[in-house]
Amino acid sequence: MSTQVFSVSEVKRLLEQGAQLVDVLSEAEFEHDHLPGAINIPLKRLDATTAARLDRDRPVIVYCNDFG
Amino acid sequence: MIDYKPGKQAWYEDNEPREGKAVDEIWIGDVAGSDVPTCSPTETIGDIRRRIGGWDTCVVVDSKGVVLGLLRKKELDADPKATAEQVMRPGPKTFRPNVTLEELLKSMRDHEIQTNSLVTTAEGRLLGVISRADAEATLAHEQAAETRTDS
Repeated sequence: MSTQVFSVSEVKRLLEQGAQLVDVLSEAEFEHDHLPGAINIPLKRLDATTAARLDRDRPVIVYCNDFG
Repeated sequence: MIDYKPGKQAWYEDNEPREGKAVDEIWIGDVAGSDVPTCSPTETIGDIRRRIGGWDTCVVVDSKGVVLGLLRKKELDADPKATAEQVMRPGPKTFRPNVTLEELLKSMRDHEIQTNSLVTTAEGRLLGVISRADAEATLAHEQAAETRTDS
């Protein structure tokens, strides 16, 4: 089940606790800029295979560009 | 799974670090100054002028810091009894902090902005200002440094 966080400080707290950060934007956008420590799984390629890179025992934070 | 709704835009608005090719770029959020004077829409021009000293810019903001308008020299020279709201330039052009200096300068030239540009969040909250002179000087300095590195 997905929960939502709305502040930078919440994200930082979760990262300190071992959360994984996933950027779901395109490869080109990710290569240009992304949050420190993020991995890239473009939304169009997000499936069981690509998600296998993630550690199932740690929380996963996903983000895109903004609210849009 | 946790959905970080505001996304990377909000991360950069908080001046947090980035990774990727963009670490070599200068973003206006990296260099904008946050000491620009602000005022409420109901403050009078006379009071504002006394308060801001030598500044030729004052940003009119609401109680949450969201930009409502801009006072430049012409507006600051208006009737001292007028309120900021009565004389301000409403809805000035604003820029997000992850715009590069090159993009900012191009836009300032295209829109004939000669003095300061406002840097805000996507919701319009004021983060700072950058002058055209500072933007041009910073970019020239950076390009000169790159030339020295290349040679």
